[in-house]
Amino acid sequence: MNRPVLAVEDVSLGLGAFSLRNVSLALAPGEVLTLLGPNGAGKSVTLETIAGFHRPRAGRIVIGGRDVTSLAPERRRVGLMVQNYGLFPHLTVAANVAFGFVACGRARRPDGADVARLLTRFGIDHLAARLPRDLSPGEKQRTALARALARQPEIFLFDEPFSALDARTRDTLREELRAFLREAAVPAIFVTHDQADATVLADQVAIMDRGRIVQAGPVAEVFRAPANSFVADFTGVENRLPGRVVSRAGGRWQIAIGDRLLQADAPSLAAGTADVFLCIRGEDVALRSPGEPASDLSTGNRLTMRVERVIGLGALCRVVLDGGFPLIACLTRRAARDLGLVPGGHAVVEIEPESIHLLAG
Amino acid sequence: MRRSRVLPGLLGLLLLACMPAAHAAGSAVLSVYGAGTLAVPFRQLDALFERQHPDVTVQPEFGGSVMMARRITDLHHRADILGVADYHVIPKYLFADAGRPAYADWYAGFAGNAITFAYTDKSKYASEVTPQNWYRLLAKPGVAIGRSNPDTDPSGYQTLQMLSLAAKAYSDPDLATAILANAPPGNMRDTETSLISALQLGQIDYLAIYRSDAIQHGLDYIQLPAAVDLSDPGDAKLYAAGIAHTKNGDLAGKPIVYAVTIPTNAPQPALAAQYVALLLSPAGQRIMAQNGFRSIAPAIGVNQAKMPPDIRDAVKPWPAW
Amino acid sequence: MRSADLLADASVASGPSRPRWPAAMARPSGVMLVSWFLGSVLLAFIVVPLLGLAISQSGASLVHVAALPEVRNAILLSFASALLATSVAALIGVPLAYALAHATFPGRGIVAAIVDIPLAVPHTVAGIALLFAFGRRGIFGAPAEAWLGLRFWGTVAGIVIAMLFVSVPYTVSAARIGFESVDPRLEKVARTLGMGAWRVLWHVTLPLAWRSIATGLILTCARAISEFGAVVILVYYPMTAPVKIYELFLRFGLNEAAAMATLLLALSLILLILFRWLAQGQGRASGYGR
Repeated sequence: MNRPVLAVEDVSLGLGAFSLRNVSLALAPGEVLTLLGPNGAGKSVTLETIAGFHRPRAGRIVIGGRDVTSLAPERRRVGLMVQNYGLFPHLTVAANVAFGFVACGRARRPDGADVARLLTRFGIDHLAARLPRDLSPGEKQRTALARALARQPEIFLFDEPFSALDARTRDTLREELRAFLREAAVPAIFVTHDQADATVLADQVAIMDRGRIVQAGPVAEVFRAPANSFVADFTGVENRLPGRVVSRAGGRWQIAIGDRLLQADAPSLAAGTADVFLCIRGEDVALRSPGEPASDLSTGNRLTMRVERVIGLGALCRVVLDGGFPLIACLTRRAARDLGLVPGGHAVVEIEPESIHLLAG
Repeated sequence: MRRSRVLPGLLGLLLLACMPAAHAAGSAVLSVYGAGTLAVPFRQLDALFERQHPDVTVQPEFGGSVMMARRITDLHHRADILGVADYHVIPKYLFADAGRPAYADWYAGFAGNAITFAYTDKSKYASEVTPQNWYRLLAKPGVAIGRSNPDTDPSGYQTLQMLSLAAKAYSDPDLATAILANAPPGNMRDTETSLISALQLGQIDYLAIYRSDAIQHGLDYIQLPAAVDLSDPGDAKLYAAGIAHTKNGDLAGKPIVYAVTIPTNAPQPALAAQYVALLLSPAGQRIMAQNGFRSIAPAIGVNQAKMPPDIRDAVKPWPAW
Repeated sequence: MRSADLLADASVASGPSRPRWPAAMARPSGVMLVSWFLGSVLLAFIVVPLLGLAISQSGASLVHVAALPEVRNAILLSFASALLATSVAALIGVPLAYALAHATFPGRGIVAAIVDIPLAVPHTVAGIALLFAFGRRGIFGAPAEAWLGLRFWGTVAGIVIAMLFVSVPYTVSAARIGFESVDPRLEKVARTLGMGAWRVLWHVTLPLAWRSIATGLILTCARAISEFGAVVILVYYPMTAPVKIYELFLRFGLNEAAAMATLLLALSLILLILFRWLAQGQGRASGYGR
């Protein structure tokens, strides 16, 4: 791995009743990290500490190889993007972008060539004379990105920029932002409580709870293998089922839930564990018609369960099943229709052992 | 609902506010206007009058003499009695004049007063000042003297007249100029009583004020000789030599005589006459004397023919000065 | 009316753009009709007495009064002192408003209440209290005279502090609303863009709070011009316009006093409209590149 662009090393701080405890993060060049957690977890405080608005009680913050722990925000070269993008309402688009130059003493005029270049790059040159209140959310995002780039930041910090937007706009802007981050290759930290932001935008994710980072790593890994039930809950694992260990052979475990047995691959679980939680994501539960032959899943789990309810969620739907224990499966509406699922009917459930993540109970 | 209770409540308050301020039903209200210096004795007199007339409520109001007169003539207030610090105010402002109807047509002088300098124990030279050396001490640099506006207030020009008389009495022609140098316009107010707080806070050392006020406020004062303090109607001829230069022209000194009248538009002329009679009676004169005024008994009057009968009998003609 | 303006300013400053409802204007609702009816009662309550005063004056008496040097000097003195008091209010009131809007400290409510006290104190009492502190033996007055030669008794300085005392709460409360309406995230963004705290104050916070601050300063100035009770305790000479009006009433009667009052009213109106216009121009000019 390259030398990190950002290193937060064991930072602690107190802020009234709230405190951050031993927060450590690292970000490689071009990487995007999401800080995910419920309200009050300390995500924004972490971000603001990186930006320089809070002084840590202990620990160190390094940006671009420079220890900035005691530097004021204006000397840190970070690009902060906040909810509604924080455009200055009394300034035009051009003046907002020019502000990025003026503030750090590089250029002076809103009609200068530097400003024009940025406006063109973001396709907002025709909006130069507009005031922020007359912009669409997308135009605001582009203006704010241009303004932040004027500052030549070493790292972007996003503090829930989408939280005031409707779902459709949010999807569009998230896509636009993803393209920008890929192209500009500026590392970024993205604070959110929306896991979709994490899965679409980020390479890395760190889950926060009550002032601590409870799990960090590549997005896919954290989502597949939550370290505890809080992370499992927060990353949206639909099924968390208490089970009892029956036997173990290598990495393959036999788990009993009620009177049903399931196989799970968990090479890292401690050998003596007796009680476990099974974490199964809804999209990893495959459904088949009772008449359909088994797939080529030789060592898999195959159970027949009763369909309780089918809940439509737009393009996706959620099927609630019962077979001695409750189970939720997520599939496309189309697939659910093809299977002819109706409440009271039956379906065959297939779950691959590696899709079952075990947490020590 | 809350609103349904609040709204009638507000309306009720509004009605209350609009009601006349009379207290008991059927009682008469006597409106007495007086010069500020009369506030204390008049309130005592009001209490006495209300004891004698249980169905009457006296409502006194006090202010500068000219202010009270103007409220009757310019703002058309209706007062039953007007008492002023300088009898001259009544013929000047209330008698019939070119284009002005008569708001009053007689007056009776009922008390005298003296103009003096009040001070406190914090005042400069407080421990040294005597009736003999005051005019030298008050002229010393650094002494701050307060006085009222000679253009609008009797005590203002009476102070100037008193200083003019003192210059003659002490044979010191520069006396007035020297003392007034310590009483610049900044130390002036429209009425001297509004300077009492400044005197007590030490902002000024001496305040030109009526003896009655000094006594009522518990202030020390200089016992000036009768030849300069305008207190004795018998010295009227002497006082005429004291001249005050004002925006209204040069005013010659006159004895300080408080006068009372009943305005022609008084709502309660009969009760007012009884009030004035009480004021002129020995009981009323006792109250005046207790509060530092010089009693004038019997009272002296102008246009006695126009007075209500029971007042007319208690008054002798105004002496010719 | 004023506070509604403040609220409107605040939402323009920080919030998303406000929708406009031309349709509602075309067909007023019952609420609007009642509002306008009651509002007209208020407008009449304010305008009729003042207009009555003004139209009762003959042009000749206005000219006569306006020609008196003492009248002109008094009005000039009032305006100059009010402007000085307003400047001092800006200098010391706006920072307090900023602190109250930004800091959270125990007793913040008490501090805010203290600032409002002058509005509840009878003005004569305010004058006596000021004399107590700023008189030649007062806790401020004595050192000011000894070290600076500054006196407050019968001087313009006295007029200014009396005006300031009764009118500075308007500056503080309006400016505080203005500062509170500025989204703190904007200030944070400006910091990360490379501006120090002072430059952020100058380039972001003050322009965004400016309309509220200006409203407060204008109210302060208006209140200062009209102050009589507190001023006259400290300073009778030199005479400010309200004191002069009172003196004219005593010397000449109602006509001259009312004529000068009309003159003062007209000039104050012109001055305040001019300020409002200037303040709006200032608000526009503070955006760069416009």
